[in-house]
Amino acid sequence: MNKIRRPAMKRHHFISPKRLSAALSSCSAAIVVAWSIGCWTNNAQAAKVDFARDIRPILSDACYHCHGPDQHAREAGLRLDDRQAALESGLLTSGEMLERLTSADSDLRMPPPESKRPLSDHNRELLKQWIAEGANWPSDDRHWAFIPPARPELPNAGRGERASNPIDRFVLARLEQEGLDPSPEADKATLLRRVSFDLTGLPPTLDELDLFLADDAPDAYEQAVDRLLQSPRYGEHMAVDWLEASRFADTDGYQNDRLRYMWVWRDWLIQAINDNLPFDQFVVQQMAGDLLPERNFMTQVATGFNRNHRINSEGGSIPDEWIVEYVADRVETMGTMFLGLTLTCSRCHDHKYDPISQNDFYSLFAFFNGIDEAGLGPNNGNSPPFVPVPKSWPNLSPSELQFVEPEAMKIRVTQTSVPRPQAGDTDTVMVLHERAEPRETYRLIRGQYDQPDKSQRLLPATPAVLGGWNQRWPNNRLGLAKWLVDPAHPLTARVTVNRIWQHHFGMGLVKTSENFGVQGELPSHPQLLDWLASEFIRSGWDVKALHRLIVTSSTYRQQSIASSAARQQDPENRFLSHGPRKRLSPFAIRDSVLFASGLLSGKIGGPSVKPYMPPAIWSSISNAKYQKDSGEKLYRRSMYTYWRRTVPPPTMMAFNAAARETCIVRSDLTTTPLQALTLMNNITFVEAARHLAERVIGQQSTSPEQRLTAAFRIVIGRVPSSKELSILLADLQQYQKEFVGNPKSAARLLSVGESPVRDDLQPSELAAYTLVANTILNLDEAITAN
Amino acid sequence: MDPLEVFKSRQTRRAFLTRNTLSLGSIAMGTLLGAEQPTPISQLAPKAKRVIYLFQSGGPSQMDLFDYKPGLAKRFGQEVPTSVYPAERKTTMTSGQASFPVAPSIFKFSQHGQSGIWLSETLPHLAKVIDDVCVIKSMHTEAINHDPAATLFQTGSVIPGRPSMGAWVNYGLGSENANLPAFVAMTSNGTAKTGQPLYDRLWGAGFLPGRFQGVKFRGQGDPILDLYNPAGVTRSQRRRMLDSLETLNQDRADTFNDPTIDTRIAQYELAYRMQMSVPELIDLADEPQAVLDQYGPQATQVGKYAYNCLLARRLAERGVRFIQLYHRGWDAHNNAPKQVPAQCRDTDQPTAALLSDLKQRGMLDETLVVWGGEFGRTVYCQGKLTDKVYGRDHHPNCFTYWMAGGGIRGGISYGETDEYSVNVVENPVHVHDLQATILAQLGIDHEQLTYRYQGRYFRLTDVHGNVIHDIL
Repeated sequence: MNKIRRPAMKRHHFISPKRLSAALSSCSAAIVVAWSIGCWTNNAQAAKVDFARDIRPILSDACYHCHGPDQHAREAGLRLDDRQAALESGLLTSGEMLERLTSADSDLRMPPPESKRPLSDHNRELLKQWIAEGANWPSDDRHWAFIPPARPELPNAGRGERASNPIDRFVLARLEQEGLDPSPEADKATLLRRVSFDLTGLPPTLDELDLFLADDAPDAYEQAVDRLLQSPRYGEHMAVDWLEASRFADTDGYQNDRLRYMWVWRDWLIQAINDNLPFDQFVVQQMAGDLLPERNFMTQVATGFNRNHRINSEGGSIPDEWIVEYVADRVETMGTMFLGLTLTCSRCHDHKYDPISQNDFYSLFAFFNGIDEAGLGPNNGNSPPFVPVPKSWPNLSPSELQFVEPEAMKIRVTQTSVPRPQAGDTDTVMVLHERAEPRETYRLIRGQYDQPDKSQRLLPATPAVLGGWNQRWPNNRLGLAKWLVDPAHPLTARVTVNRIWQHHFGMGLVKTSENFGVQGELPSHPQLLDWLASEFIRSGWDVKALHRLIVTSSTYRQQSIASSAARQQDPENRFLSHGPRKRLSPFAIRDSVLFASGLLSGKIGGPSVKPYMPPAIWSSISNAKYQKDSGEKLYRRSMYTYWRRTVPPPTMMAFNAAARETCIVRSDLTTTPLQALTLMNNITFVEAARHLAERVIGQQSTSPEQRLTAAFRIVIGRVPSSKELSILLADLQQYQKEFVGNPKSAARLLSVGESPVRDDLQPSELAAYTLVANTILNLDEAITAN
Repeated sequence: MDPLEVFKSRQTRRAFLTRNTLSLGSIAMGTLLGAEQPTPISQLAPKAKRVIYLFQSGGPSQMDLFDYKPGLAKRFGQEVPTSVYPAERKTTMTSGQASFPVAPSIFKFSQHGQSGIWLSETLPHLAKVIDDVCVIKSMHTEAINHDPAATLFQTGSVIPGRPSMGAWVNYGLGSENANLPAFVAMTSNGTAKTGQPLYDRLWGAGFLPGRFQGVKFRGQGDPILDLYNPAGVTRSQRRRMLDSLETLNQDRADTFNDPTIDTRIAQYELAYRMQMSVPELIDLADEPQAVLDQYGPQATQVGKYAYNCLLARRLAERGVRFIQLYHRGWDAHNNAPKQVPAQCRDTDQPTAALLSDLKQRGMLDETLVVWGGEFGRTVYCQGKLTDKVYGRDHHPNCFTYWMAGGGIRGGISYGETDEYSVNVVENPVHVHDLQATILAQLGIDHEQLTYRYQGRYFRLTDVHGNVIHDIL
């Protein structure tokens, strides 16, 4: 048996009581000067240990929980998140930290086993190396993301001739450093399909493809990009990421999941993106369009962004509890979308890793705590504040464009004591509107709505660590919005360009696009990130220009075939030695299948639609019944599919769509058998296969080879190889033989879906082509942008 | 500890580690997980291989079923003292009532089995197997409304967004059957017409990768969404298509040197195997009539609770790890004397049948069966109190759960409530304690099954939870 030693005092003191008082007295450290940037690396062991890159992530992960910013959780008065406190403790250089790291004595060894924060051998070695090298802790140790980006010089890469624009200079320099080679440019067909999907969520038509292939102009690609940026499909496609982050839905999200009407906000969003509304205004209008001096009906609709959170209508709920939830949701959403910070952590206690205190959280909370809203939603309908939408929407007359004062909230008690507000009907949209007096804001102890710390009322304020406040800004949401898009803000531009980068490359320069804090990953190309951020601001927050810059770079235009060396050395392609190869989003998967079939509706905007769903999709688990639409509404783009939060569309969820419960800016792309079942058997996909078959059988004089080649090109964007074609042809002949022998089966397959079957075609032939089209639509390449 | 158990637990642990570090590259596809490996689990010796969780949605009335309070009869209609039931944390459905009169249970209670556990007359079938059951009368929660309360039980948090318990287990232990999902959810509607809605998030993956989410077995249409081939398409045609797909996809995998394509090929094969194995699973033709009779008249009616219980046993036999049933209709606000027996008629016989069926097959020892809802009900009457009719509002401060099998001691009653069934007076068990115990029986230390998300390590029990050692 081991001897158990129990020190008389509290265990795991990193420092002796003598040093304790010194450490305690130095808890408030000033922030400092020069700074060297950390940068993500996959090298097992960097030559020399860098504090920001190598050490702080380890300290944060393993130590900050007990020795970090949260003063209430701090053990032994020791801080390892604060340079001055850590240095003054003396233990970095006294040998004590080394001893604590290396001791075999479980009473001494750090981190203690019961903390459940194991430190890997590799990281332990890094800490030891750092201490051995003198525990260098730079005097400006601010976390990189809290320092405003400066515009870096463009590096001179050895392969400068490969650079189309500044992006490539940064990428080539990094590749050179890593000893990797860039890849050649993708072939034209691949490139056009890739950029069409990335900018519009749809593949090119065969005509567009043929025109592009025939276009020898040196700027043919740039022209194609400009055409795509002008397509109204661009606004729809780019809106999807924003809808997911904004937790947009057609229902309230709790219990009976009552209906709401927010599609007018979605229309606003698509239009704003298509109009290329500068991103700073885009943010200001959504955060505070009701407070602008030049406010109007459109800027008012924009504020629906902050009403997309869930609202609880469950009878018996305590209103005060839920108002806190809505306000907190706004803070958290702003944190994720604009700041790339996990503010939620500070809702119940000081942040464990980032220098965001609980008071900081509730000071941000105060900005959103004056909305004239109810804790309980109405039973169905929009919850105040809301405004009526003119029938002429979206073609408003000048008088209809005026700002509208929302009707004040009126609470009525139902049942014995359930307080409900008036409900906004289908012709309203929820907006922000301030009460005459904001609610008083206090820190909520442990985040509980009924535990305010009344000792100090909190006024709206932003965390000092995230940059200064301009006294000319009003101390309300409008000021908050101006603070977010201030060119000196350290985060908003970086976080935004990173998300746009993620859109095109499948992974951000900061991989954790939702978290730029200390626990987030370091950027793979820190200087590129900063250059893009500064360029974005310099361009006047021009989003289309940013997309154009990225997709016209040589980096983006590389072929996506990974060399064995690259696959080995850089399996996630962080260094960008080849182009992105991405599975399509759930929305683009369904849309592109409808597009290939010719069924896709061209209508933009309007109320959500109810396409095919499995039987009893709602009624089996709730008190609502799904009423499927018919005709064109079955074939609208997937972004318009009715989103019931508690029963989200299963086809979208099967392909990892965000659930629209909270703000999500990054989704995983796991592959499951359910995806295969969807693509093979789902009614929409089978019906679309039939229409694709009808399309290519079209001209009776064409050969089976020509028809299958056409179908393949429509879906995959390239001509099939002879091997591919021969496999599909053999299948076709076999299926045809079987369906000729079994006409009833053919008829049954063709009857899938509501759209009529062409009666001028042989059913056995059409059924056979349908199955082959089903095969093509199931190819990995069909749901992937190469 | 039995050396064999130690060995097995290490095997499980090794399998767990391997799956999450090495094969994720090949199985999981691409992106997220590569760098986000779970903390290694220090496994406990597993007692249970799987869980069947019979969730009773709406909040069953503890004092009409399990929590016998003979002293209340003489207090019929008297006010529940505010010293016992303070005004705070009453829902706003009743907090405005002028009066909070005691509504004693209308049902007769008696003792059953060797253990002498008290049960109301509404549970005659459970009474016969009660010696296998551990009744926990001291459950408590802080959520007072259905949605947050159910979400807390299923995900460890009242706020949506966390993974469900089954998803955590799936993530930690995976499946024993390559042809079926590791986590299956089934729903049924109660006879009492006060069904609370359910939400997909209750069996969702939250922030875990989507493949860990529960697969819903449906009572209508295909048992698994889009499981069946389209009308008119034969199995051999589908096989031919899959062979072609594999050849064509493999060609691209070689060209692009992209392992995600290999994963996709494998998942198509798994889909095909599911197409084969599910029809066999749901074909009850091989069940002897005696077994069907045991589960009662609704045993063969697709989508009924009895059918789901029978299917649960068949899934358990096939190695499915986490089987989650939901039965709606326990929300007895208006007329508990009518609603409670109606719910029991749906569930009592099939539930008891499931226990004895598992036991007969020698599976109860390795299958943890959990029964309970999101909260309990008030002792005071909601609405008008008569000697025949009373309603009960939501009550979070005490309610009853039971567990059986999977290493839980049968025939015991754990925890006590006060004479009104309002507060716990002995051995309180919080939702997180129950979750910690369920994981422990599966061999998982609830503090070590973590997933890093948004820079922090999350777990099912948040920062709480204690295993209830007294009932093991």
